Amino acid sequence: MSDALDVGSLDRTQRDALRRLVLSLADSKRLMGIRYSDWLLGSPSIETGIATSSMAQDEWGHARLLYSMLKDLDIDPVPIEHDRASEEYASVAPLDEEMPDWAALVAAICLVDGAMTTMLESFAEGSFEPARGRVPKMLAEEEFHASLGSAWFKRLAGAGGDAHRLLGEATRAMIPDLLAWVGADDGPARAMVEAGVIGDADGRVVAFRDRVRALTALVDVDVDAVVPSEDWDPARARSPGHPSEEAVERARGDRNRALFVE
Amino acid sequence: MSVTVLPIAPRPDGGLASHLSVHKSGGRDRWSEPLTAPPEDPVQATWGLLQEVLDPEIPISLPELGLIYGVEWEGGVARVRLTFTATACPCMEFIREDITDRLEAESWIDAVEIIEVWDPPWTSERITPEGRAKLRRLGVSA
Repeated sequence: MSDALDVGSLDRTQRDALRRLVLSLADSKRLMGIRYSDWLLGSPSIETGIATSSMAQDEWGHARLLYSMLKDLDIDPVPIEHDRASEEYASVAPLDEEMPDWAALVAAICLVDGAMTTMLESFAEGSFEPARGRVPKMLAEEEFHASLGSAWFKRLAGAGGDAHRLLGEATRAMIPDLLAWVGADDGPARAMVEAGVIGDADGRVVAFRDRVRALTALVDVDVDAVVPSEDWDPARARSPGHPSEEAVERARGDRNRALFVE
Repeated sequence: MSVTVLPIAPRPDGGLASHLSVHKSGGRDRWSEPLTAPPEDPVQATWGLLQEVLDPEIPISLPELGLIYGVEWEGGVARVRLTFTATACPCMEFIREDITDRLEAESWIDAVEIIEVWDPPWTSERITPEGRAKLRRLGVSA
């Protein structure tokens, strides 16, 4: 583990890079929670609906803790959470739209949530003290997501027919963007590696591929052969585009704006 | 030991029960009378007071549930290091308010400072033997 980072010693470029990293993780967690919440009703069983409810709750808890890390950069997280336009969100691209079917959500549990866990593991082992202290609890909660996702992925992959086909399509659609995100290696990403905040891009990609290889093989996707997406928005560390307006209205809490208590 | 059972009285205007404005746990906790003189060991006394603050969902105390990571005392300020069972625990605000309400009922405590901590992460391993015994009597295994 690296020595603790002295945030006060960071120059402007490094601070912006750290802000980008934290926002990328926090926004992705928030949108992941929304995508879980889309399936509170209408998932294959009452039990899976309850599971998505719990996972949505977890993701928003993680988002809350991640947004609060911005305070260490003297950034007020409240307007970040509640006042941004959809074009400013830094969540990963596969969460932009509602999952079209249960198979896509299962793919997202394993791949999108899995990519976030890969990043968080690296973040927790880095030099940023708030991440060291708060992320291990998130990772412990993520173990349950991974367990449920893996079980469902195997079940759908083994079912053949439409279940196998839809799962494969979702897997193929998600991985390129996720590889680009996990493997970000532009200037800000390198600045964070040099500051010891997060591990190097190659290591993160290896960890992600190791995490999902056996599962994606079940739907005939060789994750080692997938090429990362080349479209990249360096301001937000994600592929171009943005989450749907409806999702961002929920993320911001527009309906409850008069009731904010923060 | 004498106990104070908080009132559960409806407001005249038909709104929330009056106790909700002063005690967010809904009056379930049973608190002893405030001490009549400052204790010799404020830290130990604070731990004792926290034993009267129950988790809002499970009827064992916050120390028994393993949520209190530390208590410090400095110039009239009781500083409580608190964690939660989950990052999105829906009872966070209730727990914070219950701690503050209970401690501020003591005249020798000028202020309460709650520090949220996540390291080490809470697991059920942190439940004390006393807490486990109580849960077992309630038919809950932990």
